[in-house]
Amino acid sequence: MNCKLCSALFQEFLDNSLSEELIVEVQNHVRACSKCRVSLRTYTVTVTLSRKVDPPCCVSRETLDRLRKIIRENFSKSRGAVV
Amino acid sequence: MSKKREKQTDSDLVREVKQGDPAAMEEIVKRYSNKVYNLAYHLTRDAHAAEEIMQDVFLTVIAKIGTLTTEAYFSTWLYRVTTNAAYGYLRKEKKFSEQTPVEDIDQEQFLEYDWTNLPDDVLLSEESKEVLRRSIDSLPEAMRTVVVLKDVEGLKNEEIAETLGISVPAVKSRLHRGRLILRQLLSEYFSKYTEPSKEKE
Ligand SMILES: [Zn+2]
Repeated sequence: MNCKLCSALFQEFLDNSLSEELIVEVQNHVRACSKCRVSLRTYTVTVTLSRKVDPPCCVSRETLDRLRKIIRENFSKSRGAVV
Repeated sequence: MSKKREKQTDSDLVREVKQGDPAAMEEIVKRYSNKVYNLAYHLTRDAHAAEEIMQDVFLTVIAKIGTLTTEAYFSTWLYRVTTNAAYGYLRKEKKFSEQTPVEDIDQEQFLEYDWTNLPDDVLLSEESKEVLRRSIDSLPEAMRTVVVLKDVEGLKNEEIAETLGISVPAVKSRLHRGRLILRQLLSEYFSKYTEPSKEKE
């Protein structure tokens, strides 16, 4: 396996969607090639860090209440029309 | 009663909403409002817009749920409705910039610098999170959406493909290129820690 192919497989490697055979090939290449080793690490940690980007979270109580009210009104309206 | 609701699958709820049960609709709002809001916020970067979009999305759910033939696809469908609403907002506000796609990321250009060994308090600092947040924001729209859906929101490739109406290979290629850009930007940021110039000893 060469470096180009190896790095092209990082995504599937992280997704756990490679065949056993290819997993071993990637692992062997990465063990032998320091460039790809670093590359896989930084790629992996980039993904891990993205998961940790805080969600803006959460809808405020007032917004949710307002939403609920609107939903209720529209729901009965639309049902009224349909039924 | 509400215990029972919580245990229901999305498919059950969707079926009941179709039959006109308002309590089932309430449960859907409860289950998905934060998810819809977060996704809308990530795509628009605007809290006020995200609230408006969320409201539109649930109104769309009420109006269009009858067209959803496979109840089990509800969450994917909901994400698609949300993404479309967010795009609609961005277009209307002229914030939808088709930035030059970064086709030419040299995948051979590996960065030798292994910043993954930096201590957690550097890697996970508020500053580095902010850098990453801004980096994600700076991605071209098409890549940003995929990166947000996959790496921030944790959707599967197939769900993203379905949500955006693109192929799975297209998802993968956008994701890969997006991640490479993010890595590049993170590497640049973390490189300031390269020199062991910490006043440690
Ligand atoms: Zn290599």
